[in-house]
Parts: sequence; C-alpha cells; structure tokens
Amino acid sequence: MVYLDYSATTPVDDRVIESYSAACKRFIGNPNSLHKLGLEAKEVIDASTKQIADILGVKPSEIIYTSGASEANNTAIKGICLKYQNRGKRIITTELEHSSIIAPLNYLVTLGFDVDFVKLDDKGRVDLKNLEELMDDDVILVTIASVNSEVGIKQPLEEISKIVRKYKKCFFHSDMTQSIGKEKVDLSLVDLASLSAQKFFGMKGIGALIKKENIVIEPLIHGGKSTTIYRSGTPQLPLIVSLAKAIRLAYDDFDDKQNHIKEIHDYLIDKLSKLDVDINSNEYSINQIVNFSLRGIKSETMLHALEKDDIYISTQTACSTGNYSMAVFAVTKDEKRSSTSMRVSINYLTTKEEIDLFIDSLSKNIKKLGDLR
Amino acid sequence: MKVIKITAVWCSACLIMNKRWKEIESSYDIETISYDLDFDEEDVKQYDVGEKLPVFIFLDGDKELGRMIGEKSIDQIKEFIEGLN
Repeated sequence: MVYLDYSATTPVDDRVIESYSAACKRFIGNPNSLHKLGLEAKEVIDASTKQIADILGVKPSEIIYTSGASEANNTAIKGICLKYQNRGKRIITTELEHSSIIAPLNYLVTLGFDVDFVKLDDKGRVDLKNLEELMDDDVILVTIASVNSEVGIKQPLEEISKIVRKYKKCFFHSDMTQSIGKEKVDLSLVDLASLSAQKFFGMKGIGALIKKENIVIEPLIHGGKSTTIYRSGTPQLPLIVSLAKAIRLAYDDFDDKQNHIKEIHDYLIDKLSKLDVDINSNEYSINQIVNFSLRGIKSETMLHALEKDDIYISTQTACSTGNYSMAVFAVTKDEKRSSTSMRVSINYLTTKEEIDLFIDSLSKNIKKLGDLR
Repeated sequence: MKVIKITAVWCSACLIMNKRWKEIESSYDIETISYDLDFDEEDVKQYDVGEKLPVFIFLDGDKELGRMIGEKSIDQIKEFIEGLN
C-alpha cells in the first residue's frame, strides 16, 4: 500500500496507541472525583496538559480539549461571536477555510452577523491591503487558517496579526489543523488556535482549542467545570495522554523530519512536472501538500484508478457537490483546473520508492484514461 | 420572478452570494425559495444540481428561464437577470 493522504488523516503511531491503552487500564478514576483514584487521574491530566503547553509555548490553562478541530473551530467562532456580539457584528475570513469554519459562519449570519471575505493575491495569500481596508471597530473576529488543507498555502500570520492587533476589540483565530505537528508555530500571534491529533499520528476524537487565558468565550457545551469551564464533560483522560504523546513525538527529531519531507517534496514535484498535469501548489505551499490538476480526466476517476494499484491520494471537494474545488479556483482562477484537482500529502514516513510507485501508476492511468476520452 | 436558491452551509461561495443576493432581492421583484443541499435533499433532487454551488434557478411559473451557478459579482448577477428578459 502507498498512503499519500496524510493531510486527511494519519495512521496512529504505535507508541501513541500504547500510551492510550496504558492510560485506559491504569487510570480508571474520574479526574473530578475526590478520592485517590480521581486525584491520580487529575494528576496525569495535569502532567499531560503541561507537556502539551510547554511544547506549544502556551499556559496549561489555555488548553481546552475538544473532540477534534471541527469542535475547536466551532467553539472559537461561536464562543467569541456570541459572547461579544454587543461589541460588533462583523467577522472576516477567507475563501480557503475548512467547512468547519464556513458552516458556523453561515449559522452566525442567520443570527444577524455579517461575514466579509478578504481578497487573496495571485498566490492564494491574504491581500494585506484589502484586510486593512475591511477592518473597522465593528469587526470582532478574524478567522484565517495558517495553512489551507487543499493547496497547502501558508498564510502570513505575523503580518495579519499586526493588522488585527490594531483593533483592541477584535480577536484573531487561526485554524492550525494543518500546521500544528507539521511545522513550528508561534501561538503568540493569535488569540485562539485549533488543532487535531489525528493530523500528526495521534488518535481520532481528540483535539484542542488554544485560547488566551484572559479571553472569556461562550461555551458550546454547558454542564459545569471539567478540565475547563469552556467544555464540559468527563475529561477524556486516555485521549489527553495520547495527545501529549503524539505532539511530543511530532516535534522529536523535527529538523531531520523536515529535511526528509523537503527532499521527498522536491522529488515528487520533479517527477510530477514531467507528466501531463498542472501543479496548483506554489512556493507558499507547505512541503507536506502537493495539489495538482489532471488535464481532461476526472479526479474521482483517477482516484479509483490509483486505488486499484493500492495507492491512496485524495480529491478535495470543498464547496462542491462533485469534483469542483473552490480552493484551487481561489489560487489558480482556472475553472478547468478547479474541476480536476487532486492532493498528494506526504509525511516523514514517505519514501522515494512510494513516490515512484505513485508516479508510475499516475502516468499509466493518465495514458489509459486519456485514450478513453 | 421565482428563484430557487440552492446552497450548503459548508460552502464559502454560498456565504458570499447570500449577502449579494439580499442586495439583488431589494432591487428586483423576486420571490426566492431557498433549499439547503444536505438538509432539503428530497426537494433538491428534482433540480439536477451539478458540481458547483450555489445554484440559482430562475423560473417563470414552472418554466426554467436559466441557471446561475457559482460566485458572481453584483454586476454579473444583474447582467444575468436582465439577460433573461
């Protein structure tokens, strides 16, 4: 099998499974119980939270555990807007956001909020001048992903943060699902950030919203204090322990992993550029994501053709009922390319041999499916 | 004129177009019937929606006059509507 869909989800690292399993067996108490088993469980959660906080450069009290990035994004967006709606009703975002950003924004519009989309430049990066023009005292939230999941475009968060910071009543949230665990992040640039463990070899069902300590938000789930008042429910101890393990592993030998990913990325780009495809990712894309478009072949057809060779990549269909990609259109302004795009996402486990197998199959199928046109 | 508007909550182009469509509704005599692609699956089925959202289907009675698909500027929407007449 050749798995090249790491941005959709990663397999779980065996060491993460072991830590999860050990925590399940060893710590059976509810961390909110006052007896010895409860206190032991609380100590383990606190230690895990401290580890995560240290790695991310935030305070333990700034971590709100969630079921994943979608819940974190919803908690951030609805939590800020519902709490601070008396300050203003405007929100700014981009066309490159994940559906778990767009859907809560659509919901907030029904409550009377107003959403503006900042323009992107010809590389898919936020047009900073346009952002400055859109900002005013009525804007209470700017939500922009650090890295787009389809094309991999990395946004200039530092510059965006400088602009947003001029407005004291406005909060800056970034969906960092495609960044945390894949690149070094500076969380001081934002007020809130979302992450998901399943993007860096952690378990599915655990993520977090990082929220600056002094910011009060409206919780989505009410029910009393858990690890935080902002997300009720019995703390998911084994998942929290597994998240700490996954994030620690993600940043172990980080430079070596990055160098390997860069080498594989360059190798892939070199091979792809010799085929009958258009590469949509550009110099601002992270090395883990390579998006390209087929010429005259449906991406879904190709996905299944590759599948027959046990090769797995993805077609991204945000804002589409089929193969059309809004994100690819936002970056390329090309309707045809937006209808036939595919995403290869690599990680430190990816080898040149896997890339060769993928390229051979892709090349074979381009010829085969092209002949059927 | 009656317009069937098909959107989805996860669609950024739909969110962009919702705002523009409100502006258009205030300038033209339009009755909009809104459907969500996922929540109103049964109603949407009859309209043969393609790959791209949002979809605006302009009707004169039951007769389809034309379809506008995807994100359009206010000027493009006006041009499309005026082209139907």
